[in-house]
Amino acid sequence: MPTPTLTQSIVITLIQCLLVVIFVFVVVPLTVFAERKVLGHLQQRLGSTRVASGHVGFTGWMNRSMWKMGRVPVLSYWRGIPGLVGDVLKLILKEDIMPAKADKFVFFLAPSISMVAAIVVFAAISFVPGTFFTFPAWFPYLGGLPVSGGIADINVGLLWILGVATVGVYGIVLAGWSSNSKYPLLGGLRSAAQMVSYEVPLTLSLLAPVVLSASLNFSEMSSRMAVGMPFWALVPQVIGFLLYLTCGFAETNRLPFDMPEAENELVAGFHTEYSGMKFGLFYLAEYINMTVVSALASAFFLGGPWLLPFGLQGLLNPYLPGFLSWFGEPHAIFFVAKIIFLLFTYIWVRGTIPRYRYDQIMAVGWKYLIPLALVNLLLAAVIRCFAV
Amino acid sequence: MFKNEEMEINLGPQHPSTHGVLRVKLRLDGETVTHCRPMIGYLHRGVEKICENQSFFQGQVWTDRMDYCSAVANNLGWAEANEKLLGITVPRRAQYIRTLLNEFNRIASHLIWLGTHAMDIGALTVFLYAFREREDVLDINEAFCGSRLTTTAFRIGGLREDLPPGFEKMVRKFLAKFSDCLDEYEALLTENRIWKKRTIGVARLSAEDAIALGVTGPMLRAAGVAYDIRKAFPYAAYAEMDFEVPTRTEADTYARYEVRMAEMRQSARIIQQCMDGMPEGPVMAKLPKILRSEVNEVYHATESPKGEIGYYLVGEKGSLNPYRFHVRAPGFINLQSLPKMAEGGLIADVVAAIGSLDIVLGEIDR
Repeated sequence: MPTPTLTQSIVITLIQCLLVVIFVFVVVPLTVFAERKVLGHLQQRLGSTRVASGHVGFTGWMNRSMWKMGRVPVLSYWRGIPGLVGDVLKLILKEDIMPAKADKFVFFLAPSISMVAAIVVFAAISFVPGTFFTFPAWFPYLGGLPVSGGIADINVGLLWILGVATVGVYGIVLAGWSSNSKYPLLGGLRSAAQMVSYEVPLTLSLLAPVVLSASLNFSEMSSRMAVGMPFWALVPQVIGFLLYLTCGFAETNRLPFDMPEAENELVAGFHTEYSGMKFGLFYLAEYINMTVVSALASAFFLGGPWLLPFGLQGLLNPYLPGFLSWFGEPHAIFFVAKIIFLLFTYIWVRGTIPRYRYDQIMAVGWKYLIPLALVNLLLAAVIRCFAV
Repeated sequence: MFKNEEMEINLGPQHPSTHGVLRVKLRLDGETVTHCRPMIGYLHRGVEKICENQSFFQGQVWTDRMDYCSAVANNLGWAEANEKLLGITVPRRAQYIRTLLNEFNRIASHLIWLGTHAMDIGALTVFLYAFREREDVLDINEAFCGSRLTTTAFRIGGLREDLPPGFEKMVRKFLAKFSDCLDEYEALLTENRIWKKRTIGVARLSAEDAIALGVTGPMLRAAGVAYDIRKAFPYAAYAEMDFEVPTRTEADTYARYEVRMAEMRQSARIIQQCMDGMPEGPVMAKLPKILRSEVNEVYHATESPKGEIGYYLVGEKGSLNPYRFHVRAPGFINLQSLPKMAEGGLIADVVAAIGSLDIVLGEIDR
């Protein structure tokens, strides 16, 4: 395989960035859309399952013809897409209002911090170990060159991810503070306390895979957690996975931990004063963060680009018949499928349970999750020390 | 260098969880509420004064618009108060139909309460489930009197019309599924750990305090006082009905939730009995051409879904319209217990307390 020159590798990296950005901006709106649809079905909303937009255009035509056939168009999942486009357009075109007494610079900075922190994390996430695809020989300038599965699969990948993701808290705190208004201030304070508290068990639960795989590199960790370890050594990580997921829900401010924006208490929490695309950036950041949390969970606990989680892949591989051998190999599609499943879980949980109270959240975090995460880490260390 | 400052914050009048235009002035120490005062009057229309200037017949449309979630219950109290004042006896069939509709209304009102209360605490799904069943109740309202929310269901002396054809089928269909629907809501909430954590021990109001503040309805029964006007001073056809008055002794938000859920089951029971034992006969009493009051004053209390709704009517003997019309609105009186429940708790508990009060501002401000 030819080695790329410096300019060639820069171009390749740019292409990778573009792909990741496309991935993010495809997954996020689809999650928003799915949220509407899935919640619609969970809650039997009529608006989003039966009568959602469209008496005009293609969807309207489909709608009318289904009615004519004597069917209630229940399963027409494409409906609601115009609403999605409308939402995005509204966010972009709406007047951007800034409170008169807001700290203008910080008010402007806060959504950008949230957004940048959320999206930069993807630099260290590798969708598939090794080569993602190779440019065909006829391709101009880049013919025959490989494109790796992550933008920068650095050896301190996890550290980078955790470090950058934490910066996102600043966005929320600064937004709450700079609005110079009471509800945002309360929301900002809540989120500062909550996110800093949950950062601890989150990191502790991620340390178990680090200890087990003896690496901080994203693709190495996910490989070892999927196929490089005996089955029984990974079974205790079911706890780790649930722990991580719980903390992930708290980190992304989703139900049952959506304190900073608990709309029934704090109106809209830290982004009460935001409108237009500034609000849109917070909104985007929340969904990107959800994707990131899901990506980490699926990489470290659910086997990442391999088919099966919790070391089951290692059990399965020797018995795979030849024509099914691709089940034994890593594929980006498995990875993305797991991310999507976890995103569905987010919506599912939102449709099922109520919200914790602020002090209860802190109690759960400090009294239960952190000790449990420590025990889990100890268990992983023992397994690593004596068994693997 | 550092000083501890309390923050004053207005919960409302435009706030998602104050159920209308209630404004609650809060003083917060961190997230703890140290001072709480409800401010009302944003929806004041002068209902009582308007009714004084209209004939006895015309007041009913205003009672629809007081507590618009339980219009039928308001109509019933109003009609019976007027009947007392004018000395009219209502036929038995009309009493039964009134009881039946009143209990449907209780279910509808409690469903709204359940949905919004659960939504305040973050359980979105229950809201939509509850509204799904409320829709059926509103359809039944519509079948009976042509309108869904502001029903103007009754007339002084009975009913305008008898039950429409197909009404019984609708009611039976609703009764057949309603118990399962209640089980569905309870599956989402009753044993839910987060729901219990958010409601048990929150916003306590002891029986003594409740009585001292004049609190009635499910709020009082959740504190262990089995005071239900349907049992204590039976009206309409309640004397002939077999039902229980659910009570709890914990006096917290969860107890109120349990009481109201149990009340919905009892309401379904009463509806069943009304439907089974529906007597034949006329639905309207013989009325004189012009209604003139027979006595000087009347206070008539009925059990609305929110508590005791009392109508106080003063009419000089022989007059055509009430000289004085006053409503003892349960929401208005229950609301004054809010500071007692909320002070010392967290801001999230204020929201739970408001939810468990089950207030409608149309009734409070009148």
